[in-house]
Formats: sequence, structure tokens, C-alpha cells
Amino acid sequence: MKEVDRAGLNLDRQSFLGKTSAPILDNTQVAIVGLGGGGSHIAQQLGHLGVGEFVLIDPDIVEDTNLNRLVGATQQDVTKGSAKTSVAARVIVSVNPRARICVETTQWQKCGIALRSCDVIFGCVDSIGEREQLETVARRYLIPYIDIGMDVHRMNGEFFIGGQVALSVPEGPCLRCMGIIDDRALELEAQQYGAAGSRPQVVWPNGLLASLAVGSFVQLMTPWHTRLDLPVLVEFDGNAQTVSRSNKLLYLEGRPCPHFASLSSLGDPFWSARAVRKHVATTIS
Amino acid sequence: MKILFKVTARLLAEVKDQLSRPHPFAAERVGFLLCRVGLLEGGGVAILSHSLHEVADEYYLDDPSVGAMMGPDAIRKALQASYNQQASMFHVHMHSHDGRPRFSHIDERETAKFVPDFWNVQPDLPHGAIVLSEDSACGKCWIPGLEAPVDISQFSVVGIPTRKL
Repeated sequence: MKEVDRAGLNLDRQSFLGKTSAPILDNTQVAIVGLGGGGSHIAQQLGHLGVGEFVLIDPDIVEDTNLNRLVGATQQDVTKGSAKTSVAARVIVSVNPRARICVETTQWQKCGIALRSCDVIFGCVDSIGEREQLETVARRYLIPYIDIGMDVHRMNGEFFIGGQVALSVPEGPCLRCMGIIDDRALELEAQQYGAAGSRPQVVWPNGLLASLAVGSFVQLMTPWHTRLDLPVLVEFDGNAQTVSRSNKLLYLEGRPCPHFASLSSLGDPFWSARAVRKHVATTIS
Repeated sequence: MKILFKVTARLLAEVKDQLSRPHPFAAERVGFLLCRVGLLEGGGVAILSHSLHEVADEYYLDDPSVGAMMGPDAIRKALQASYNQQASMFHVHMHSHDGRPRFSHIDERETAKFVPDFWNVQPDLPHGAIVLSEDSACGKCWIPGLEAPVDISQFSVVGIPTRKL
């Protein structure tokens, strides 16, 4: 884990976000899980916005096939085998040297405790199963979760780009409520259903979806405006070049999410105060 | 030690509504938040509130020297809720002003008496007390095995918008 703390960032041009927005953003800790095509854009934008604390998680290194979309990565990173987290950290620090950055070059499940104190988690992972796990962690610790997803489908010999940005806020609709996750999709994924090989990805839909996700984040955290009907699911049609609020949730309006409603869906499944006492004893000694 | 207290915007609004209702004789109302807890990196604790356990009108004692005095049935019911639902319990009441509230001497004296009682039913969980104001909060958390309560370092209200108090 590395920390960086140097000089400041002038945010005068975004002061319309509210006079307290700069300290709010500086005092906000964000996790980005997955620093590939989508996550690298998000990291860059949050760096420009002046977000103060980052937890960057991705186990992968930069490969030549990433350069068509991975913001900040260079040929030299491919040669050196730089971690994607290091590239994101470098991009952030290059615009906001005061950013405090924790880098975890491992699977997020192995450093899940680092997510718990975050104010917002961005999920930029590929699989539906991982999305479900990540959202479950976010719900357990009452953390808003912003998920981006993009796919390229082949139909009748043509390629279609689709994607969505989902804002999963505790007590609001979750990814299951939104229809992004369901048992059948999980089952099919588990059977590795579909075309084999690497998933097609391109830079501009990633950038657009990342921008929408950052827009949701800014509305969530800053006093920019008081509009409370922030769309929780936005859909992107890459061929028609349209972004629209999803109508999937029309029938759920006002209904609480039933999937994470119980008390037992909160907190550590196996809590023990021993770890806290141990830490206090270590600090005192 | 970092103690992070989180509440959803909906639950906070419900708590404030309930605590603002007039009582037949008590000057203020009190309640308990049923919570779960999580370990944070560096040994901190996240307190994650789930729902409000209200204190019924008849469980208040008529004691004009304090804003609200709970009777033994109020504590018994709260202990029962903690035991049945394996919940960490946080006493909550409200001071009607803006800015950061503080525990009064009476608050400190009374919470120190009854909060550790929750260890009789949930000995391994932290319990505590919080005071809300119109726009802020303060609180103390009793951690099992530590002699003195620890101040809650941060309150987060989670919803649209999400904010820190």
C-alpha cells in the first residue's frame, strides 16, 4: 500500500458545485474496483475533480491489448509490466498531488476490508458474479455502489454496443431489482456460456459510461443541486448514440429493495471484538 | 480508533420524526437503533444502523428533573430486542438546535449506567449512545474489553444525497 501527499489542486472552475464541494470531495474516500477500460477513465476524472482518497484495486498488469482503451497507459507500461493500479495512481497524482492513494494489486476479495471505510465504491468488473459479490459488500457496509457495464453483441452479422450505469444506494433498488443480476444469468456465466475468448472493448463507450458514473457520484456527494430523482439506472445504446433513463424500474417506484432488507445483511457475518482489542493493545504497547 | 456510524437517510428521517413527537409528560423522546457492526482496516469499527426500536409512551418515568427518564421496562424491552436480533444497540435522543450537539452531564451519567448492561445479552458487540441535532450528531461507543467509551469519529448519512454530519 502506497500513500502520496504533496501540493494542491485549483478547483475554482467547478465552484458552482457548491461552496463546500471542494472540502467534501477532498474528504471523500472512493474505491475503484477494476482499473481497465472503465475504471481508468473514472480514476482520471475523480483525480481532476479533487477527490481526496482512493482505494485502487486490480490484480492485472498492462498488456498490449489494453492500450486501445486504458487511459494513462503507455507502450512503456506494457514493456515494464506495470500494474493497472499504478497507472491509475500515476494519472491521479499527476493532476492532484495531494490525493491519498491506497493501491491493492490483488483480487478485491483478498483486500475487502479496505473497501469498508469508503464512501462510494465504483464497480468496473466484468462478470455478473463479481458484481453481485461487490454489491453485497457495499450493502453490508452501507456504501453506495456505482456499477458500469458495457457489452458488444453480434447480431445478424453486425456488432451492437450497449451499456449501463447503475447506482445502487442502500435501501434503494439493487442490481437484482434492476434486472442486471438474476439467477439465470449467474448460472449461464458459471457454465461459461457464450462465445469464448476475450471480450470486445473500445474506448469511447467506456469513457461515456465512466462519465455518467462520475456524474452520478458528483450528484450524490456534492451540494451541486437539490434534485433528488437522480436516475438509478441509465442505459446507453452505442449504435444509436443515445443515453436514456431506464424504464425497467417504473413498476418498482416507491417499493423498498427486498434483497438486502434484513438486519443480518449488514456488517461482518462473523464479528469478533477480539481484533479491535488486539489493535488497541498493539497501539498502546 | 476510528468509529464510523452510518445511517440511511430514510432511517434518520424516521428517527427524527419519532423523536420529535410530543410525549404526554416527558419533555423529549428517546429510542434505540438496532445496528450491526464491521471491523475496519486499522482496528476501527463501522456501526451500521438498521432500524429504530421505539420506547413506548408508558415506559417513560415521570421525572421533571430530566428531559426523559426510561423505566425498567424500557430497558428490558431494548435488551430483549438486542438479544433476539443479535443487535448492537445505540441509545438515541435529540437536541433541537443546529450544530454539533454534546452529551449533557445527565446524558453521560445515565448512558454510562445502562449501556454496559447490553453486554449481559450481547457481550461481544459494541453498544453506545448518540445525540442528534437538527444537522449534526455526536456519540460514544462502548467496545467490549475496553474500559472507557470511545467517541464516534464520523457520522455518515447514506442516501441520495450522501453526506457526513
